[in-house]
Amino acid sequence: MVKLITHNLLCCHARGCNYPENFPLVFRDVTQLEVREADYNAEFLQKMMPRLEWKALVDTAKQLGDTSLPEELPEGEAMDEEFLKKLHHVLMEIHIEEGAMHCPKCDHKYPILQGIPNMLLAEHEIGR
Amino acid sequence: MTLTAHDSSQLEALRQDPALHESTYVHAVYDNIADHFSQTRYKPWPIIAAFLASLAPGSVGLDSGCGNGKYLPLDQEGKIMLLGMDRSIGLLAHAQRAGGKGREVVRGDAMRVCWRPEAFDFAISIATIHHLSTPERRQQAIEALLRSVSSTHGRVLIYVWATEQDELSKRTVPDDPERAGKKVQDVFVPWQKTAVKGKGKEGESGKQEVHQRYYHMFEKGELRGLVEQAGKSLGLQVLEGAEGAAMPGLQIVQEGWERSNWYVELLRHAPHR
Ligand SMILES: [Zn+2]
Repeated sequence: MVKLITHNLLCCHARGCNYPENFPLVFRDVTQLEVREADYNAEFLQKMMPRLEWKALVDTAKQLGDTSLPEELPEGEAMDEEFLKKLHHVLMEIHIEEGAMHCPKCDHKYPILQGIPNMLLAEHEIGR
Repeated sequence: MTLTAHDSSQLEALRQDPALHESTYVHAVYDNIADHFSQTRYKPWPIIAAFLASLAPGSVGLDSGCGNGKYLPLDQEGKIMLLGMDRSIGLLAHAQRAGGKGREVVRGDAMRVCWRPEAFDFAISIATIHHLSTPERRQQAIEALLRSVSSTHGRVLIYVWATEQDELSKRTVPDDPERAGKKVQDVFVPWQKTAVKGKGKEGESGKQEVHQRYYHMFEKGELRGLVEQAGKSLGLQVLEGAEGAAMPGLQIVQEGWERSNWYVELLRHAPHR
């Protein structure tokens, strides 16, 4: 169940890959995407929003076929319930069950199996 | 239950290839016992529950070494979020539906940072770092926690097993023959798994399987020492209180011993002017 909130946190950690070039990971070969209702919590969304990489979220949602989010993160009055409901849907209700995420820099593939992304690297792929 | 000290050949194997030692005596074992293990985990420790309850709404945190996900449901009914990470795919399958709801989990390595730098508001590491088999690897795991949380407000809580065990733990740590008055630290902890025979007749007793898990038992002061080393290597000034940090600081908020574990709570903060 890779939600976009999780995707917004993940980075490639292979040798030579550093932020921000290793972010965001790109979904590929998504063979199973599910939309599942989740409990809506406006307070959580409002307060965590500044921690998001907004452009990465909007672009990734678009790639998955959801164009409901505005290009710019709304402020003040524009951050109304209608907007928060859309954000809730994109962040918390879209799940990638099967597929992969690729590093935008080195193209390393992180597979997603039964909703669990495998972020492990082999010893020779590790930088440090 | 008596824990078994490593003999000299096991210690040598550990030193030769710590990753293999952990793979054999930690990862493979948890994958094997995951279903059974998940039936027996009891209620959360009070200090950990209080820590999670004290977080501001909107906080996003990492549970590094989440196991079967017993802490993932303590999310203030959705006001905060915990993302679980573990190495064992068997345990993650349980963590994924901890508390009867879908949970976000990732398969990963506690010594690595596969997140945006400082992506999280908080991180917890409960009964995980003691499965790493060298001081360098344990320190690296603490550094990974510190690098994963905000440098201005990131909070970290770490729990590890202690050589000092109380009566309730039912675990006995053997004395170290080489160091008077000290306990051995690199040990095997047996896990008893009752394997029920397939299609067995009613009343037929299952056979006992014993799996040995590797643990490094922490002595008094050892966790704090590692935290100080980790902070130093990241250029953080380690402080007892919140005042007086001229450079990026790492405050030790509380530390202590609870029910046979050593714990420490940390706070990262920006330099004061
Ligand atoms: Zn990469």
